[in-house]
Amino acid sequence: MPYYDEVELGDEIGPVEKVATDDEVSNFCDVWGTPGPNRFTDAETAAKSGMKGGPIVPGIMTMAMMAQLLTDWGGPGSIKDLDLVFRQPVPHNRALTLAATITDLREEDGESLVECDILMTGTEGERYVGGKAIVTLQSR
Amino acid sequence: MHSHSVSSDDSRATVEQYVKWIQVLRKRGHTVDGIVLTEHRKFDFDKDYSELASQYNVVVLKGSELDTRYGHFLVYGVTQALTQDIDFGDVRMDSRALMQAARQHDAIALPAHPGRFGIGLTEYVAQGETFDDVSIVERFNGGSRPGENERAAELCDSHSLLGIGGSDAHLTSHIATCMTNFKATIKKESDVVEALLTKEFQPVWLDDTLNGASA
Repeated sequence: MPYYDEVELGDEIGPVEKVATDDEVSNFCDVWGTPGPNRFTDAETAAKSGMKGGPIVPGIMTMAMMAQLLTDWGGPGSIKDLDLVFRQPVPHNRALTLAATITDLREEDGESLVECDILMTGTEGERYVGGKAIVTLQSR
Repeated sequence: MHSHSVSSDDSRATVEQYVKWIQVLRKRGHTVDGIVLTEHRKFDFDKDYSELASQYNVVVLKGSELDTRYGHFLVYGVTQALTQDIDFGDVRMDSRALMQAARQHDAIALPAHPGRFGIGLTEYVAQGETFDDVSIVERFNGGSRPGENERAAELCDSHSLLGIGGSDAHLTSHIATCMTNFKATIKKESDVVEALLTKEFQPVWLDDTLNGASA
């Protein structure tokens, strides 16, 4: 994990490539307590819900994927805030790129805070989910 | 020429974060003189960014991005009188009426991201709609998907339209990804309108400014 004084404005976290497969979404829904068939796991139900591109990745799962990008970098428990805007449905079985850019560094109430933009994009330039996050890092 | 702060419901960047990020870009050698906040479906008469602008030496101006039945339109030089004539929250307004009202009030309205799939002006032009008052469009849009800016460029070339550039930033690090380089000095909103009318400007990408071009 990086220390606070090792990071600079403009530093990138990631990018990391991920794919949310049908099986992973199905497993997530089971654990989450929303077993299928539903718009996350079933093409017909998704179509009835207006999802033209097939079943979608649950927003909470998308959020978990983005949170993992940050905790893999800053360590478990490092996320202080994650505020996302879901701009378009996230499809199954497609390459997803997750990346963050550090936009602010500040010490506040004894904590060393790193603020960053975070984005999930697709291979065709789709901006599926974007937002900002605040992560706490250790100071030396 | 096109950015959104937290005053827009889908943005997560504050104006202070934008002007601080511009300092990062300047340290990297880019030239960024100012930004225009174009909040969705509104104009923030009550917001005053002059202290931030002065503190960070960044020109911070205000405009609007309005939804119309023919796509989104950027409006510069917004006045109280214009907002009394046009309902900025009317997402089905006719953009032709908006453009005419804007000019009557010394403002200017022009299509944002005209190449955007599904909602850009090119879609409506392809359907046979005509927009005689459009002479400038947002040719470079920082939020565009692959192919959309190319469609905007084709529209400009086929209809002899001028182009501006706007980042369409909703996140801090997306500010100034593309901009507009004006020949004139821009200090206030009316300068933007005047400079657009003089037609002495061009769209630029951030990397185009590394050699000192102003934006």
